[in-house]
Amino acid sequence: MASVVHRTTLSILVTGALVLIGLVPDSRATPAANATHRPTPDPAAGQAAYQQSCARCHGMQGKGDGVDAKRFYPRPRDFTVGTYKFRTTTSGTPPSDDDLFATITNGLPGTNMPDWRQLSEETRWQLVDYLKSFAPQVFQQESTPVTLPVFSSNPKANTGRAAYDKYGCAACHGKQGRANGRSSATLVDDWGMPIRPANLTQGWAYRGGNSPTAIATRFLTGIDGTGMPSYVESGMTPEETWQLAYYVASLQEPAHWNMIVHAHRIDGELPTTVDDPRWQAAERTDVRLRNVVTPAGEWANPPTVRAATFQVVYNEEQLGLLVSWDDPSESRNESPDALAVILEPASVKGDVVTLQAWPYAGAPPLDLCYWSAPSSTAYEGIVSNYEQIQTRPPSAAELHNAARFDDGRWRLLLRRSLTPHTPQGAAALTADVLTPMAFAVWDGGNHQALAVSPWVDVALERARHPAHH
Amino acid sequence: MSGDRSARYWLTPLGCAVIIAIGCGGGKTQDAAARPDAQPPMSQPVQLAEAPAATPTTGGGSASIKGILHFSGPVPTPEPIAMEADPVCQQKHPTPVVSDEVMVQNGLLKNAFVYLKEGVKGPFTPPTTPVVLDQNGCWYTPHISGIQAGQPLEITNSDQTMHNINAKPKANPPFNIAQAMPMKTTKTFSKPEVMVRFKCNVHPWMTAYLGVLEHPFFAVSGDDGSFTIANVPAGTYTVEAWHEKFGTQTQTVTVGEGEAKTVEFTFQAQ
Repeated sequence: MASVVHRTTLSILVTGALVLIGLVPDSRATPAANATHRPTPDPAAGQAAYQQSCARCHGMQGKGDGVDAKRFYPRPRDFTVGTYKFRTTTSGTPPSDDDLFATITNGLPGTNMPDWRQLSEETRWQLVDYLKSFAPQVFQQESTPVTLPVFSSNPKANTGRAAYDKYGCAACHGKQGRANGRSSATLVDDWGMPIRPANLTQGWAYRGGNSPTAIATRFLTGIDGTGMPSYVESGMTPEETWQLAYYVASLQEPAHWNMIVHAHRIDGELPTTVDDPRWQAAERTDVRLRNVVTPAGEWANPPTVRAATFQVVYNEEQLGLLVSWDDPSESRNESPDALAVILEPASVKGDVVTLQAWPYAGAPPLDLCYWSAPSSTAYEGIVSNYEQIQTRPPSAAELHNAARFDDGRWRLLLRRSLTPHTPQGAAALTADVLTPMAFAVWDGGNHQALAVSPWVDVALERARHPAHH
Repeated sequence: MSGDRSARYWLTPLGCAVIIAIGCGGGKTQDAAARPDAQPPMSQPVQLAEAPAATPTTGGGSASIKGILHFSGPVPTPEPIAMEADPVCQQKHPTPVVSDEVMVQNGLLKNAFVYLKEGVKGPFTPPTTPVVLDQNGCWYTPHISGIQAGQPLEITNSDQTMHNINAKPKANPPFNIAQAMPMKTTKTFSKPEVMVRFKCNVHPWMTAYLGVLEHPFFAVSGDDGSFTIANVPAGTYTVEAWHEKFGTQTQTVTVGEGEAKTVEFTFQAQ
């Protein structure tokens, strides 16, 4: 008993010290499940909660075949198989009850699986038991928890780079974690469906949590059902595990989900290159991109472009945008990568609420600033469908642009007039109103998959320079 | 109990000889299996009879089942494998590589797993000598092999590149482990299962199959489509031939002690 007490005391001390230096592992790997609150399993209650909250995606029989399942990427889990991706247990063993509780409670970031905190803890526990009943053969096996190595020293992310190379992370996740490794386009899951590796720069989409502890847990458990292996038997040392976990965490880029986008006022000429230092003064905004609805659904053609980051600047005459997005492959010419900045044409009645469905019957036209690789092409038109702009209508206006592709990331500069004369009816931006803006991105390397963002509102920042007062 | 254990040790060299001789596939090893000096003397199994009840009563027989796998119809053109994305893989292959899924020469089918599916009376203590599954040049060697349940499988990486070994058995626990550099990992399968598939997600052309059996009576057809299952006890057996592309076929064979029977299978293009 004495030794147990000592260990507990020590762990409190160590945890306290880590909190102080800002390196505390989060609770993800050891979900805060309190066994004392766990109710007696009640299959009827579990089934009722399942049918109410889960069956729409996961199917009445738990086969992952709910009404919306085919449109989802990643697809809802088939509980009858009993393979669970996010565990704290050894590769090939079932998840712990706490793991299931944690996934229900926290959801899976970057997927359609929300968190279910609105359900009572008791209901979530009933769901845990009910889910297990879909694959009794799997849950008969013992689940062996992985043991995170002792957090021995103060891991520096820069030392983790060597481990990133040594353990072959770049083969799938890419040299800079942009999901563009050489094997990224050939991965299939256990169900034979194409999947993509995680983009490690998008911390908001780490399914199992983005803290170093959660990341280290993934190294040890692997992600069952996918190509991500367990590194338990790989010879990875405890030191390397933590160094690599911190390195991967350092690849995450902060995301700014602004709903109002402040365009930064610049006096004089707008930037003409993507590297112009003046971009640094402009606010960054991130938007999620979702593939447009197709008969085949997202799952048949996993989305590759999941988000875009952009900055807006303007001067008296012009608007300038710097947009960057991760695309695993550079595609030019025949089947080019492309991007459109979408605006609402002036004096058009009716809103396009969701671009995922546009162009639907009777949909209003849109103002598209369209660029496609090779980067010399960019023009603007008012169109009723994408083909019109892709084949370049005669009324289109030339836009200034510059683009660069580097290791799985496009950076594109586009400039247009604030109040263009052509094309006729083009959107005009003024300082007095918010201007809705959205993006459409085509990935030429992914069967021309088209992903669109939601609308955000651009506000032209009032000039702060004394000369304008 | 100690008698039991010693009996198992007696059986081990026999099992090993069979595994090593025919388990690894390829024509050459099968020739070796056919050589009398590659087999234990016939008298040796007699000692097993003195052991207690757990000892197999019909183990270590003297019959053999040989055969040929024919292939009829147009032979599918093997898919070329593009390895240039990983220079480590490419370097070990001076000539272009094609898929090893379908290997047919002169109408004879290589890499079929042939085993006694029914009729074997055990138990047969698994050998302690491991079966080796090597990854070399981003290629599994052997592509098809067999192992006894409980016998160690040594998975080796001979490449200076990262492989993951993604095994998806149904009867045994699945695993997906990383080998980022030259190293070895040992796994065992406790339950029989034909076949266990191994896959490397990093190099999607890499696939291997392992037949897990409770006995040592299996073989893999060689370049000439032939196979030999040796040391079979007298009895009536269902012989199954399994091919990854062309499915399975079975035949029933009855052999007496010392007898050699020949079976022929013909697979067709699908």
